[in-house]
Amino acid sequence: MSSVVIDGVARQFDHHRALNDVSITIEQGEFFSLLGPSGCGKTTLLNIIAGFLSPNNGRVLIGGKDVTALPPYQRHIGMVFQNYALFPHLSVGDNVAFGLKVRKVSRSEQQRRVTEALKQVRLEGLAQRMPHQLSGGQQQRVAIARALAIEPQVLLLDEPLSNLDARLRKEMQDELRALQQRVGITTVLVTHDQEEALTLSDRIGILGQGELQQIGAPAALYRQPANRFVAEFVGQANLFHASAHNGLYQARDHFVVAGSELQLSAAQPASASSLLIVRPERVQFSTEPQQFTSNGSVASVKEVSFAGAALRLVCQLPGGGEIRVQPAEAHFSQLPAPGDRCYLHWQAADVIVLPAQERA
Amino acid sequence: MKIATRNLFPWLLLTPSLLFLLLFLLVPLLLLFDQSLTNVDSLLNPLPGYSLTQYVTVFADPQYLHALWTTLWVSLLTAAITVLLAWPAAWLLVTTQRRGWRTLLYVILISPLLTSVVIRTFAWIVLLAQNGLINGFLLFTGLIPQPLSLLWNMNAVIIAYVQVMLPFAVLPLITSLNEIAPSLRLAAMSLGATPAMTFRRVVLPLTLPGMLTGFIIVFSLAAGSYITPLLIGGRLQPLLPIAIYQQAMQIANLPLAAALSLTLLVMTLIVAGIAGAFLKRWEKKNHG
Repeated sequence: MSSVVIDGVARQFDHHRALNDVSITIEQGEFFSLLGPSGCGKTTLLNIIAGFLSPNNGRVLIGGKDVTALPPYQRHIGMVFQNYALFPHLSVGDNVAFGLKVRKVSRSEQQRRVTEALKQVRLEGLAQRMPHQLSGGQQQRVAIARALAIEPQVLLLDEPLSNLDARLRKEMQDELRALQQRVGITTVLVTHDQEEALTLSDRIGILGQGELQQIGAPAALYRQPANRFVAEFVGQANLFHASAHNGLYQARDHFVVAGSELQLSAAQPASASSLLIVRPERVQFSTEPQQFTSNGSVASVKEVSFAGAALRLVCQLPGGGEIRVQPAEAHFSQLPAPGDRCYLHWQAADVIVLPAQERA
Repeated sequence: MKIATRNLFPWLLLTPSLLFLLLFLLVPLLLLFDQSLTNVDSLLNPLPGYSLTQYVTVFADPQYLHALWTTLWVSLLTAAITVLLAWPAAWLLVTTQRRGWRTLLYVILISPLLTSVVIRTFAWIVLLAQNGLINGFLLFTGLIPQPLSLLWNMNAVIIAYVQVMLPFAVLPLITSLNEIAPSLRLAAMSLGATPAMTFRRVVLPLTLPGMLTGFIIVFSLAAGSYITPLLIGGRLQPLLPIAIYQQAMQIANLPLAAALSLTLLVMTLIVAGIAGAFLKRWEKKNHG
């Protein structure tokens, strides 16, 4: 049974269209992320699912029931806010018990479920503490425990990890995923952090300019982006406009790229006006001289930045264009320096072809 | 050396105000204390040495004990009513979205403070007197057979207090309300709390500091004011500030006036101290 159905939802603020005809079906037990840049409408959509906003058009179904007209307190959802939104005047235990108290759950049952929820987030024994006595990560866990204690039909997470430092964020990501799997609760995460979405989700819905751009599993979005927006937002992308107009050799599936003397051949069918994408991490980098006719070029290193396991390079192509390359650090005995001559090459299968579309 | 200058600088900036407070608050208080211990004969001529006679008078004379007690409960009642009435006003001010409306509401709120105490008080007399507007209206509509005595009693005093002190209770409440993150209300609703439950369990408890602050301010102001009760309640009201005024200005018994003043001050400090302790405990519990 599908757990959350968003059916043709649209929302307008004054004259700004925040969401335009978005439809998503989220399955029972699925970890679904809404990913997009700020202002793309993802938080608006989450607020519509939660009931804090009502859509101008469309319906929201939770557990098969149309909840579009229901206020948030009748929707049986669990929500975790970006700033955690713990009640500062209540102890950790009372925060977690809040949803049970307002539901008039018996005292002994409250006790049992609070203990259970705190155990789930590994905060046993902290029930007496006040929120201000906890670290950011602990407050985060309390917020999750509080949302889970009411055993909601769906867990909504609004950028829950963005206030944590990088190391703790990684840790909480793993924990959140493990917890979600253990509890088996349908979860909708809103985030602008593509890495977070890729790591955590079963499926991701990419939102851009109020439109749903693509829905898919993380690997599918990365390998077959539906459009330029998705290609640039999920992972990194070198974009090339295929061109038919500079007189060089050209045939089906074999392109000369505008702005640089580069020839690409793709494994997929494409047309002369297609957009071609090569992921930086798929480009082979070498300082040994090599010969290419297609899918490769001699180039010179322009910028080098060290990012731990990988190097991030920007290389200058002979025709004037640039290409980003991300070779593994282990590959080098001596790191390349700006000005170095290099040889770049990639497989035809690594050239992603996007249909021609209006320029974003 | 550098650290020393940095520590001294704020003190340097504070020096003028500290000097001012020392000269015009602390020194007069000490003089008042000295005055209250003066030994006088029955004709109020000073005698050598110190004595506690004045304090014995304050706590032995039923007239003053009664005034002390009345001042205490009138001020407590005023503070309680004011905070109660301030709540909806503060809520309205915080939730009003339109800038223009909000400004207008603020102006209305502080208008009693912008009006002279004399004008304000005479306005009450115009309203409440035997031949005043309220009695006139009630007589005209036939709701009452003869004019009610609305003026020259403690109810009128409390009403006038509440009017002028309302802004002092509203402003701290606004601060408290603005400090409540909007997400707290959303969180409560997501957990199943109706708007009424959210109000009772989240919003109301979180404005406790604002209510206590307003309570302390209004209580202190009410306990110390004498013009309003004198003009609206009359000189016979058993209130300490009126008694002090009479002793100091009319009978010229300065030692007794000083002893009464210090008694009033101590009473105010005790009540404010208790409320302040609650406030501090709340802050410590919730914010560390």
